[in-house]
Amino acid sequence: MLKVKYGVARSPSTEMSVDVCLTVRDVSKRFGDRAAVDGVSFKVHRGEIYGLLGPNGAGKTTLLSMIAGILEPDSGEISIDGLNALDPKTRGRVGYCPQEPIVYDDLTGLENMMFYAGLHGLSGGHVKQRCRKLLDQMGLGEYASRKVKTYSGGMKKRLSFAITLIGDPELLLLDEPTTGMDPRIRRSVWESILRIKEEGKTIILATHYMEEADELSDRVAIMDLGKIVAEGSPEDLKNRYGPKAVIDVELSKPATDPEAVIEEVKRYASEGRVMYRNDELRVHVDDPDVVAPKIVSELVGMGIGLKTLKITTPTLEDVFLRLTGRRLIEG
Amino acid sequence: MMWSAIKAFIIKELKLTFRSKASIFWIITWPAIWLLMTAYVFVPPAAGQPMTLKVGVVNYDVGSTSPFNGTTLIQILNESEYKGAKLFQVKVYENETLMLEDIRRGRLDGGFTIPKRFGENIIFGQARLKVYVGARSLQSAQIAESILRGFIQGLNNGISMRKVNETLRYIEIYSEKYMPKNLTIPVAGNRSWIEFMRDWMIGLASPINASFKDVKPKALTERSSILGWMTFGAIGMSLLYSGLIIGSTMAVREKEAGTLRRILASPATSTDMLVGKTLSGLITLGIMSAIIVILGVYPCGAKIIWSPMNPAHWLAIILLILVSIMVIGIGMILSLIAGTTESASNLSVVLGLMLAFIAGIWFPKSWLPTWMRFLADIFPATWAIDGMRSALVYGATAAELMPTFLKVLAATTISYLIGVFAYKKTLRKYVIA
Repeated sequence: MLKVKYGVARSPSTEMSVDVCLTVRDVSKRFGDRAAVDGVSFKVHRGEIYGLLGPNGAGKTTLLSMIAGILEPDSGEISIDGLNALDPKTRGRVGYCPQEPIVYDDLTGLENMMFYAGLHGLSGGHVKQRCRKLLDQMGLGEYASRKVKTYSGGMKKRLSFAITLIGDPELLLLDEPTTGMDPRIRRSVWESILRIKEEGKTIILATHYMEEADELSDRVAIMDLGKIVAEGSPEDLKNRYGPKAVIDVELSKPATDPEAVIEEVKRYASEGRVMYRNDELRVHVDDPDVVAPKIVSELVGMGIGLKTLKITTPTLEDVFLRLTGRRLIEG
Repeated sequence: MMWSAIKAFIIKELKLTFRSKASIFWIITWPAIWLLMTAYVFVPPAAGQPMTLKVGVVNYDVGSTSPFNGTTLIQILNESEYKGAKLFQVKVYENETLMLEDIRRGRLDGGFTIPKRFGENIIFGQARLKVYVGARSLQSAQIAESILRGFIQGLNNGISMRKVNETLRYIEIYSEKYMPKNLTIPVAGNRSWIEFMRDWMIGLASPINASFKDVKPKALTERSSILGWMTFGAIGMSLLYSGLIIGSTMAVREKEAGTLRRILASPATSTDMLVGKTLSGLITLGIMSAIIVILGVYPCGAKIIWSPMNPAHWLAIILLILVSIMVIGIGMILSLIAGTTESASNLSVVLGLMLAFIAGIWFPKSWLPTWMRFLADIFPATWAIDGMRSALVYGATAAELMPTFLKVLAATTISYLIGVFAYKKTLRKYVIA
């Protein structure tokens, strides 16, 4: 394992001088004895999608809550365009979309928008027009007068995004925007996020889905136990911390003794990294052409049938495993 | 404070409240049910009117030639009135068995059996009369007995006076013949013999000539005033549980809706939310109170006086606003112990209804046991509701209301300030969770 678990490994490119929208400097937050966020520092550039990737409990939501001005850090500073994040006026520059739905089921889409517009100090005849425009942008124009309880999960999330944009914020904080969604709806939400980025907004995307961080983020910070353990573009992180290749083996049936299987296969793995879940093995390797036949032979020798075997490139999940020794989604 | 945010909260809360069937039930339907039940079951349209007893009569004194007989008594029963209302509705039976059967089945409040030679015995001695006391309902038993006893007492007095007057007529005739003229009685203040005899005989027949005058408060005698009192009871009861719900669910409802963090991340402050929700709560409680007053006055017939030129009436409106704020504040304090909307609502309804019944809001204090009267005396919401009653039902002046107003103002300030502290603490707890 790399000795970077308790320090921040940064990509050299992140130190370049660019237009910084958000600065987080040595921020910590404790709840009782537990450090939810522990000495975190990073900068987010204007117009980028910055991913916060980490498992549940890594401290992503607490960090976003502090950036949104809901929670006060115990120490450290957070500034948005040079202004203190805790100042209510600064909160107008931030659009926060929590993980849970932020809409009232018994109000219509437009009424929900109008409510949040009021919270952002917007009033007057033009507000309704702006709300309708945002609903149109999110593909909800024709549903504006329907009560939200008739919306699908994806529509509610798109309405939440529209609400997040109501105050024309510089910075958007999206906390687990696709948790619990099926792949089709998740894809439509990703498209919405990319559309928002195209409008020049800066986005911080907290997620525990490595595909989501990989697909959407310009840069990713990997969080674990309240710390950022690595930061860089997804490709850069994979190049720096990922194995050369990954072998995915789907077994014909779940192994009766998974521990024994892992022990046998470990001999061929790079730094001994083997993951087993359900009836799938994921093995980090340096020389896949040489190792793959040996793994097949070993498994067959143990009386375990194989369904498929794929040699793939590493993902952010593999990066996380290498940096922390654990998987992003345990189970 | 941001007015647009406060306005947004008011509009949102009112829309959500009046779109919720549960809210409509508690704000309009439940008080309406109570009020209509009060008006037509507990204080029915006949309440406050003199009661008419259904009585049976068996008359065995038929065919008598006496100037006073059983038929005369039946006539008196039929013609007896109290405050313009017939005292008895008489049904004549052929025999006592049939009458007693109806009394036992609760069809009659009482009955009379007039024996033979009844009239003759009244004139020349003492007549017997059997009176049976029945009960058509639990409440009417005692009333029936006292009316029947009162009637017999009155009848006795009347007959005695007739007999005295008749006897005096003979005494005057014979005294002129056989007694010395100018005879006076020194021990009786030197009255003349005739005057002394008249007073003595009247005293025998009716030693005390009591006069009764009706000086009871109208609020307790007229149905419209009783209903006026009860209308404010319904307002107080509804204010209690609705206000407690508004206060106790102020933060937890947003937490459960998932909207709390988003609201707190907006430029609006938690104080904007507090003010917006309190104002929407006041509007809701105001609408509820207006509906109860309309229901009380129109279908039920409650007497509620209102004059825009009367400062006491405006002071009553201010008392309504103050008690609403006070109850919302108490509700916010409850939010410290209720962690979900459901538990907060249940706790509020139970506590609100309980307080309404034991703190002299729904029932008059005089009906309550001593310890409950103490509670009613120290509960500030009862002060406010009684203040409103005294102005809008009994016609109290602004000067009379002022001490109540000052006490309620102080209690409201304290309750709401503690409520604000609890609200802020609850919000902090929810943000960290």
